[in-house]
Amino acid sequence: MPETQVESIQYSDENLLGGTGRSGQTSRRWFLAVLVIIVLALPLARPWIGAYNYVLQVGMIVLMWVTMASSWNILGGFAGYISLGHNVFFGIGGYASGLALAYWGISPFLSAAVSGLIALLIGLLIGLITLRTRGPAFIISTIALLLLTHNMVDNWELSGGASGLSLPLPPLPIEWLKVPFYYGMALCAFGAVWLAHRVSHSKFGLGLRALSQDETKAEVAGINTRLYKVSAYALSAFFIGVAGSLFGYSLSYLRPTTFFEIGLAAQMVLMCIIGGRATVAGPVIGAILITAVNEFSVVQFGATALNIVITGGILVITLLFFPMGIIGSLRESGRLPAILDWD
Amino acid sequence: MNFVQVLVLGLLLGGVYSLMASGLTLLFGVMRVVNLAHAAFIIVAAYIAFYLFTLADVDPVLTIVVTMPVMFMLGVVMYLTLFPRLESSERYVEMTVLLTFGLALIVEGLLTFFFTGIFRSTRPEYATQSFFLWDIFIPKGQLVALGISLVLLIGLWAFLMFTKTGTAIRATMQNRTAAQLVGVNVRRISALSFGVGMALAGASGSLLSYLFPFFPSRHWQWVAILLSLIVLGGLGSLKGAVVGAVSLAVAAAFVTDIFGPTWSPVTFFLALFLVLMVRPQGLYGKVVRI
Repeated sequence: MPETQVESIQYSDENLLGGTGRSGQTSRRWFLAVLVIIVLALPLARPWIGAYNYVLQVGMIVLMWVTMASSWNILGGFAGYISLGHNVFFGIGGYASGLALAYWGISPFLSAAVSGLIALLIGLLIGLITLRTRGPAFIISTIALLLLTHNMVDNWELSGGASGLSLPLPPLPIEWLKVPFYYGMALCAFGAVWLAHRVSHSKFGLGLRALSQDETKAEVAGINTRLYKVSAYALSAFFIGVAGSLFGYSLSYLRPTTFFEIGLAAQMVLMCIIGGRATVAGPVIGAILITAVNEFSVVQFGATALNIVITGGILVITLLFFPMGIIGSLRESGRLPAILDWD
Repeated sequence: MNFVQVLVLGLLLGGVYSLMASGLTLLFGVMRVVNLAHAAFIIVAAYIAFYLFTLADVDPVLTIVVTMPVMFMLGVVMYLTLFPRLESSERYVEMTVLLTFGLALIVEGLLTFFFTGIFRSTRPEYATQSFFLWDIFIPKGQLVALGISLVLLIGLWAFLMFTKTGTAIRATMQNRTAAQLVGVNVRRISALSFGVGMALAGASGSLLSYLFPFFPSRHWQWVAILLSLIVLGGLGSLKGAVVGAVSLAVAAAFVTDIFGPTWSPVTFFLALFLVLMVRPQGLYGKVVRI
């Protein structure tokens, strides 16, 4: 593993100097531009899409997972700190905006960014506490954080406890209802991928990669590891919080189990690992792939139980046979197409 | 409730918690593996006990005779098929945590698929009986569980202290490389310890089946509770697991008494955070640099 990590650092350095070659870079730019246009233009294609609301719903879910996996990647991929409870920030975002709507009538579309900031600040605080530990102890703390939050929200009267709180939907005709959520989530996903790209190309990202390999050596080399990893923790919380606020509103119902199930964290981890940790394109590909698998398994089997089995099964197989994920493995064998090399 | 009563109820549960946590801490001690699937396998054993009880009318305590060897075999097979592949990885600790996370999901999904998400529990006669010692109320089922846990824990301790294999396991816990140098077959010892850890999970499952109602996804809460016990005691320390289990079980009993049963799990998670903040290596843990 470490050798390949070093390689990927060299890769990004090469890229900064115009690495993969002019033609590769141009084709990648075109590919990304087309991708963004397709995402933005999808809702305009209303006359040509049969199940319009279903397509937009699935599109929104994909964009949501792109956001979550890309954000998780900042901490779990670049910094190498595995969080199995990152959906805490999903819930914080959802509840912050939901409560603002229920009690003060503020639309989550306006408060989403603020909810993201709240998630970021709470992330900073929690990071300061839990990042005192490393390795297994840190992972354990993230699970405990998730269950602790779940338990507290379950018993919180203001938000309706375990039975939840219903929210009014935006005053839009039903056939247009999905559109604002879709665009909101698209913005969120672009933001998260952009952030991951910025981190990947910065001195900050280089520092995170260094500390993910050997924290003591990184510290000796002059990296303020504590500042770096706490910042990574807080940054990774922001867009997850924003996504949570939009998702909660789109359901028009806040329930602890929607946000605080450990299965959500499992999905984030799986998407990031199968796509390729510490790469920019990996979580995006992972998110698309795993959402497709989830949709398929729900349609095919109808039961969520088997979906959990499939999630776990894919995770185990990936870890055993290609732990570097799709992007990482392709890159190592030199077969990564330039259009997918976003680092 | 009076002080002594709450203390007794906490101590009774502490024994079972110790048994549940012992397998987890043993695995960490020997292999540096945090087995997130530990509680999932406890639930598997609880289902075995449940079906033996409902279909064949076997006493849940007696089902230990079945659950322990079955889980032992499962553990050895699982170790040998999955873990050697990861041994060369530089990120071994992290990879194994994720691997057991995946295993826990698979087990949870399969249990839900086959046995549904309905609350289950076995109901032997002694589970609902109780008696008074002076004026202290003592539930018979928990007393039985405490007895069995003590017998198994003392058995485990004796095995580790007085047998050659046990010595090899302790040597591997102290220093894997050095153990290998003096002729311990570390892989065999790891497979064996995995089996023993899982057998302890099996016994815990049999006891859990009548002590606490269970359903498949309940294992997350259990594994977090067990982890908080062994983090308090110090990861990898058996003595720590017992001390952590007893003290937190008593603490949870008092929290339940004062604030109500819904806050009992919060005790464990808050304790976990406090320990990580104040003393990350726990009571008896060594400072491990990873």
